[in-house]
Amino acid sequence: MTSSIFVLIAVACLLELDTTYAFQFTLSRGIIAGPLLSLITGDLMAGVQVGVFTELLFADVNPLGGILPPSAVTCCAVSLALHGLCVPLYIAFFFGVVSAVLFAYAERTLRKYRIRWLVKWEERIIQTPSLIYRPVFISLAAYAFMSLILILLFVLISSPVALWLTEHLPEKAHLACKFSFIAIPWIGIATLISSFRLKAR
Amino acid sequence: MRFFMRLNLFWRSFFLQTNWNYIKYQNVGLAFVMWPFLKHLYRRHKTELPQVMQRYLETFNTHPVMASFCFGALARQERKLVKKQNLEILEEHRNDWEGIKRSLSITTASIGDRLFWGSLKPLTLLAALFVWLALDVNFLEIEPAPQPKAYVFIGMLCAFVLFNAIALFVKWKGLQIGYMAKDGSCFGLTKFDWNQTIYYAKKMGIWLAIGMFFFATYYFLKDFNGVSDFQVKTRAIAVAVFVLISFITRKLRVPNTYLYLAAFVVFTVASCL
Repeated sequence: MTSSIFVLIAVACLLELDTTYAFQFTLSRGIIAGPLLSLITGDLMAGVQVGVFTELLFADVNPLGGILPPSAVTCCAVSLALHGLCVPLYIAFFFGVVSAVLFAYAERTLRKYRIRWLVKWEERIIQTPSLIYRPVFISLAAYAFMSLILILLFVLISSPVALWLTEHLPEKAHLACKFSFIAIPWIGIATLISSFRLKAR
Repeated sequence: MRFFMRLNLFWRSFFLQTNWNYIKYQNVGLAFVMWPFLKHLYRRHKTELPQVMQRYLETFNTHPVMASFCFGALARQERKLVKKQNLEILEEHRNDWEGIKRSLSITTASIGDRLFWGSLKPLTLLAALFVWLALDVNFLEIEPAPQPKAYVFIGMLCAFVLFNAIALFVKWKGLQIGYMAKDGSCFGLTKFDWNQTIYYAKKMGIWLAIGMFFFATYYFLKDFNGVSDFQVKTRAIAVAVFVLISFITRKLRVPNTYLYLAAFVVFTVASCL
């Protein structure tokens, strides 16, 4: 694994913080994270394509209430890292989407069990209110670390499988992968049309 | 509220969701945002701070951008609370504070979700797609031709700036409006006609999305027009099939992600057999 892929994963884990934990400047959106991360790998058009496809594919899930959409940054990072390891984008993207879904599960679990840890902090904050900074900084650091480990794991696990598939899949199967890949923008645009439905004035 | 205090709350509001959890949602975030204001307000009654913080650590959940209206309104209510000496009146004001926190967070969450996640985010996506296709940044092909860096970043910046200009304006103004609002103005929320704004944003979104569909279809087919009639027809049929599938799965409430994953596995396995 090259150093540029490690840098890509490190930047991705910082961008992931923007999803919910800090700022929310929408740097973690597919169309922004994709091109930004591709600056590291060098293939800018791959970044645009992955970014647009990620955003259109996840356009039907919004973070309303407790709903957690698949992680766009993870999808872009894993896809571009695999692409940087010579896996065609139409295969790499599949692994990116799987990683994004798994990342959302991990995040959901973290949110579920965080309350046990927070209850103790709440008691301490009520006694000494100035401690309010600590759980915030600890959470930020822990989440960045979790993202780093998870994205690294996804890339490490999926890269040999993706490379094996690239080499051993018959030509027809490559065509099938391309077909499902090229369908994404059209499915996404059709989703956008229906997502703008006017329910009430 | 002084400018630097407002700036401090504004800066801290970016960390509202850091400790999001399924029981009390953004409670730690709310306490973190309001801490400098409370510290300043209770500087002469420091012993009351633990009790005050306990109130702020109760359940709170709203939209991260619209939350600034809540911060402003809660700060104003807190100022009323600190002045009360009579226990009965204090209890009454505490109940008011609790009611305001609950009702305002629900209202702002509903507006924020519809405006920012439901309208502005997809609108800025469409804006970026239009800019990219207009600049010949073709993302519809399997292997797109390389384009200058500037072209790529113009589309990206377009979405980034459009979204953040509106979101940051609402966030900054919301703090001020929520704090300064007169009684009966629903804590400043009535200053904007949110429903009308969302209605027009969605209306514009529908037309832009339909426009994007036709523009992308034209873009997808234009290079093959006159070169290979068969390829144009095949591509046009493929687009029609994809869109039809998308409408059907949307009716069946199947998320696009699972549709793509299933299509990838099924097509690949079927082609290997």
